[in-house]
Amino acid sequence: MIMTIICLGLEGTAHSFGAGIMTDRGDVLSNEYDMLKTTQGGIHPREASRHHTELGPMIIARCIENAAIDYNDIDMIAFSRGPGLGPCLRATATMARTLALKLDIPLVDVNHCVAHIEIGCLESKFQDPVTVYVSGGNTQVIAFAGSRYRTFGETLDIAIGNMLDVLGRELGMGFPAGPIVETLALDGSTFYTLPYSVKGMDLSYSGMLTAAKKLHSEGVKLADICFSVQETAFGMLAEIAERAIAHTKKRELLLTGGVARNNRLTQILEGVAQRHDAKFHRVSSQLAGDQGAMIAWNGILQYNAGHTIKVSESNVLPKWRTDEQDILWRD
Amino acid sequence: METIALGAESIIYKVRRWDRPLILKWRQTKPYLFRDIDSQLNRLRTGRECKMLTMARTLGVPTPAVYSVDLVNHTILMDYIEGTQFKQIVDTLSSTRLSQLCHLFGRLIAFLHRGDIVHGDPTTSNLIVDDDFRLWMVDFGLSEMNATVEMKGVDLHLLRRALETTHWDLEDIMLKATLEGYTQTLEEDANDILSRMNEIRERGRYH
Repeated sequence: MIMTIICLGLEGTAHSFGAGIMTDRGDVLSNEYDMLKTTQGGIHPREASRHHTELGPMIIARCIENAAIDYNDIDMIAFSRGPGLGPCLRATATMARTLALKLDIPLVDVNHCVAHIEIGCLESKFQDPVTVYVSGGNTQVIAFAGSRYRTFGETLDIAIGNMLDVLGRELGMGFPAGPIVETLALDGSTFYTLPYSVKGMDLSYSGMLTAAKKLHSEGVKLADICFSVQETAFGMLAEIAERAIAHTKKRELLLTGGVARNNRLTQILEGVAQRHDAKFHRVSSQLAGDQGAMIAWNGILQYNAGHTIKVSESNVLPKWRTDEQDILWRD
Repeated sequence: METIALGAESIIYKVRRWDRPLILKWRQTKPYLFRDIDSQLNRLRTGRECKMLTMARTLGVPTPAVYSVDLVNHTILMDYIEGTQFKQIVDTLSSTRLSQLCHLFGRLIAFLHRGDIVHGDPTTSNLIVDDDFRLWMVDFGLSEMNATVEMKGVDLHLLRRALETTHWDLEDIMLKATLEGYTQTLEEDANDILSRMNEIRERGRYH
């Protein structure tokens, strides 16, 4: 019988805590997560870390139960070491270390951004994509070059998800606002020109956000604001993605992160891929957001490449850059 | 008519007019963009590029001369510069020659910044090295006038980013030489901009 490696991955970089179990064959056995929902929107780091500490053990237990395995079946623990909010990372790392010590199994430290890409590659079977990673806290265009994942472009101020949430709050919508903006935009008919800010392969959303708020105070219809914001914000993102494809000459475009759930964004990026004869894949909803399965999968990749970390050296890295990690499993 | 580059932004053709080779740059319609955004951007960037190629030259930056512009079809006809993209020859140069060219790159960016202009996409793809190892700067579609310290800081941040994603194995010596050329030209005016560059790198992701 061929032995299978079973990995429990813990994700807790921001407002979500997740536990996922994967095998080295790429099967997701279980993937449980919970997102801190605040009435006001926004995340307070301490509040989020308390959420992780309080719900974490229960989510982990549920994850193991759903995978129909026992604690002793777990071969290794992987955790999100960074980048993210310090208190959240520390709460998550503490649970990971405790389990690794208690079960006496290896611990592996995973970069959150890299994990998003690799789980997307597993799902899409892509070999070497340009990745557009869009979420509440991140807006990055990443590609593999010279044994590292390198950020070719990113936001110079706020992340796209954050921009949509702040806009939603101003416009009196709930949190997260992204899905509401998407629905309202379908009824938009008049386009209002908003600041379109692309700098090299970077972009900026703060000017557009301010202008959109101003439209609201001038009494412009919500649907038209949402429509104009989506077309402008996604257009900028498409442009930097296209620049990255033209520059790297890669033939695959991967869309991931929580904002990947947006259908209009997907449609626009499909257009970019088509123009460059590249394949396109949007990561499925359950693997696009922050969750533990991606951490578990990346942990397995690292473990198979011979990398583990000692508990005593597993301090969290809130500012861990994507290009600071050696990608041992790719050449 | 020979296609010499198919970029994200435009198609570059080499054409023959008046018995000499010229460049025809065409910004195509992008079907995936909302049509109003697409046409506004193409018109804006075509016009801006023409103006800035000339402005840059008055500040001491070698750029191709513009012969004609078409704001309806979004084309520019300009000089063909005999040479190679800097990006393509970086790996073939001696470290002395590489430092020399990067130093010059830094000087050219400083000339623009001194005139309150930012290039907007200062990469090694947008520099042409001619047979006498002179540098020519092209692709001014994203450039801006009345640049503030913030905008200049972003320009340098983009420059560093480009070196780190494209020339990672030579990044250290290239960045050092480029910033030296920049600082030597702008002298103490460079300080605020350099510290802004470092500050900008830390934004955009939550920590």
